[in-house]
Amino acid sequence: MDLTTTVAIDEENSVARVALAGALNTDTAPAFELRLQDVVAAGHELTVLDMKDLDYISSAGLRVIFKAAKQTKSSGRKLAAANRKPHIDKVFEILKALPDMAVFANDQELDDYLDTMQRKAKGE
Amino acid sequence: MKNSITTRLIVLLTLALAVIMGGGMLLDYRLSRQELLTRLNEEALVEIGVAVSDMENWLNGIEATTELLGRILEQQEYSHEGLQQMLRDVVVNNDEIFGAAIAVNSKFTEDARGFAPYYYVDNGTVSYADLAGAGADYQKQPWYSTPIAAGKALWTEPYFDTGGGEVNMTTFAVPVYRIDDKGNRAAYAVVTADVALTALQRVAGQLHLGESSYSLLFSKEGLMMNTRSQSRVMKHYSEISYRGVDLDRWHQMFSQALRGEPSTYDFPCPESEGHCTIRLGRLKTTGWPIGLVYNQQEVLSPLHQYQVKTFILGAVTLLLMAITVYLLISRLTRPLQQLSIATEHMARGEMDVALPQARGKDEVSRLVRSFNSMNKDLKAYIGDLETATANRSRLEGELTAARDIQMSMLPGSGEALWQQNGIDLWAKVRPAKTVGGDLYTYFQSDTHLFVAVGDVSDKGVPAALFMARAISLIQQLAGTATPPDKAMAELNNALERDNHSCMFVTLFLGVLNISSGQMRFASAGHTAPSLLRASEVVTVAQETGPALGLAEDQVYPINVLQLLKGDRLAVYTDGIDEAFNDKKEMYGVDRFNRELQACGELPVKDAGLLLFNSVDMHTGDLPQSDDITLLLLQYPSTTKQIENQSFQLGSGLTGRVQAWLEATLEQWKVAPESIMEFDLVAEEIVTNVQKYAGLEAGELLGLTVTVTAGSLALEARDQGKPFNPFEDGHRSELGADIDSAEIGGLGVHLITQLTDRQSYRRENGYNILRVEKGITGSGTEPPA
Repeated sequence: MDLTTTVAIDEENSVARVALAGALNTDTAPAFELRLQDVVAAGHELTVLDMKDLDYISSAGLRVIFKAAKQTKSSGRKLAAANRKPHIDKVFEILKALPDMAVFANDQELDDYLDTMQRKAKGE
Repeated sequence: MKNSITTRLIVLLTLALAVIMGGGMLLDYRLSRQELLTRLNEEALVEIGVAVSDMENWLNGIEATTELLGRILEQQEYSHEGLQQMLRDVVVNNDEIFGAAIAVNSKFTEDARGFAPYYYVDNGTVSYADLAGAGADYQKQPWYSTPIAAGKALWTEPYFDTGGGEVNMTTFAVPVYRIDDKGNRAAYAVVTADVALTALQRVAGQLHLGESSYSLLFSKEGLMMNTRSQSRVMKHYSEISYRGVDLDRWHQMFSQALRGEPSTYDFPCPESEGHCTIRLGRLKTTGWPIGLVYNQQEVLSPLHQYQVKTFILGAVTLLLMAITVYLLISRLTRPLQQLSIATEHMARGEMDVALPQARGKDEVSRLVRSFNSMNKDLKAYIGDLETATANRSRLEGELTAARDIQMSMLPGSGEALWQQNGIDLWAKVRPAKTVGGDLYTYFQSDTHLFVAVGDVSDKGVPAALFMARAISLIQQLAGTATPPDKAMAELNNALERDNHSCMFVTLFLGVLNISSGQMRFASAGHTAPSLLRASEVVTVAQETGPALGLAEDQVYPINVLQLLKGDRLAVYTDGIDEAFNDKKEMYGVDRFNRELQACGELPVKDAGLLLFNSVDMHTGDLPQSDDITLLLLQYPSTTKQIENQSFQLGSGLTGRVQAWLEATLEQWKVAPESIMEFDLVAEEIVTNVQKYAGLEAGELLGLTVTVTAGSLALEARDQGKPFNPFEDGHRSELGADIDSAEIGGLGVHLITQLTDRQSYRRENGYNILRVEKGITGSGTEPPA
């Protein structure tokens, strides 16, 4: 199974949205790592990994996400995972992958969070 | 022999004696030497004194004779004839006087030439000479003028007498004075006595000390009157070079002697080894220096003789003592040496070696006697031991035969594998001793399979005999036709009969309906069997009666167990669960069940042998304490499905593996969640192999997936280097820094969390990794 990655940048809010579709496994992880590195290096305040269409993740894929989370945290920015399917969630649980990441169960939570950030930015 | 006690004793004793004796002799020598030296010194002094005083006397005699003649001449007037007669008498009567003269002052004679008769010894006869008649005026001779000038008697310097005796001589001259009528004192005459130097030398020669010693005599002026060689006589000492003594020394010694001070000087002997000594003194009578030259070596020769004597005596004594010590010690230790040799023979097993004779009551004799009796005891003991060993090996031979016979009563002679109608049955008995009391048997008739496993109380020969009886009765009375409970009751009564020794048997009797899987069984106090079903093991609940052979007419309940496809039943004796290790821990039923579960996928024989092995690992080095029997019965699993596939390592491996796995599992109608999770597990396993097995791209990885009722298993085989991902240190710590997490290290957590059982083993050069997972909802439900 292949992996399709779509990146959308919201310059106004400094948010990068990376949508994953398919399988993030040993075969697909190296390419995804390069792609994610580019996004993280761009320096957006928030990088959201949208896993709505991600069907499969293995330890090789999680390793890439761990590294990115560590990198953003050390530079004071955030990496978030959103819309995880239950069996993806289970893999995250087993590997205790969450401490460095924000987690959004669905788009609604993500939108609320973005609104809050926007208000803060406008000084309300 | 260097280390033998005899040699050591001899050497040590001889050395000790030599030291003691040598010390004593040295001390004695020191004391004696001192004494001897003192004595020699005294002797020398006495000898010298005697010789010197002899000489003094001799000279005194001459002086006295001459002075007497002078005194007479002073008083009286004699005729010429009378004087001549008197003079002649003096020469004749005194041997020591060579010649004598009376030289009258010419003033008192009628003849103007004076009057001077002289008698002297010439070739033994006394000759006369008239000195006045000789050419020279005698009154001008020193022997005449010197004493008158001195006004006293004196000895002249030695001179060669011409006209008289023609010899070297010295003269004692006495002036004679007369007082005339007017009272004037005038020199009347000089009376002389000549002494030949040869006569002086003869007297002086008595002074000697040792063979090569010689005496010295000097005139006051220093002319030598006596020395070693005649050619030096009449020469002044300063003209003579004397080896070893320089002239200054001579001057000093000579002048000391003249003053009457004795002197001594040591110098290296000119003609021989060692030191020589000159002693110089003065004659009181004449004032002549007199001396002695001697070799110290010669004086001390008695001391040297004493030294040599002492040394030879010491050496001979020591030799005699050494011989004595050797003889004594050899004699005393001879039995010990013989004993030592005898012991070496005994150590080589030659027990008939002759021991030395023991005489007397000393320690050595006692030792020899003790050895003698020990030797006899040993011989007897070895004889007994040989007999006992022979008996024992005979007994062991019999026991081995008995074991063969006993094993031949069991199907397969102790280990059997039976495979019929899809049923796999494996059984094995292993007695703790050569023979034992455990038993198993089975046989099939038509649609039924009869199975029995029993354990006779106790072990060894008694148990084996009772077991033989039990198994014959089982084969007679039990079978597929008789219900197990009834068969058990009959067996009990048969075994109870005449069982005076109160032996008993615990027994499992079961009859399996092969087609339906229903097993009816009865238990006579036997350990409950274990059942492996769908990867889970349970101990089968059973109702049991008492052990067989203790009391008659017992009732044994019937139990019914429905076997399902794939079930495995394990019937065993308490030798397994009651096996103890060195910490007194029992192997236990729980451990047995776990091990049975762990090897559930293996064929019955392999699983059974692994279980035996597991018990052995538990007991370790301890000997097996009880007989062990295990019977495994595998009910056929028609629904078991297996798929194998090999994959080349390299890029896209995960995709290829997952594609194959998903297709296989979907075909087997495994639930989609399980497929997804197994996909993940497969990926993690494959990743670990690819990363750590050290294999090149293109080499093969074998995967086997198995599905049975309720269980899914995946086995990976590779020929890489040994690597157990569950133990070999690459597992990452969860929640720790991602940089320290190695590739595959996280995956191990996924494998262990997503499967129920994981195992790793190394077999024939292969890494074999196996994981199992219980599943539901597959299309492989067992038939109801």
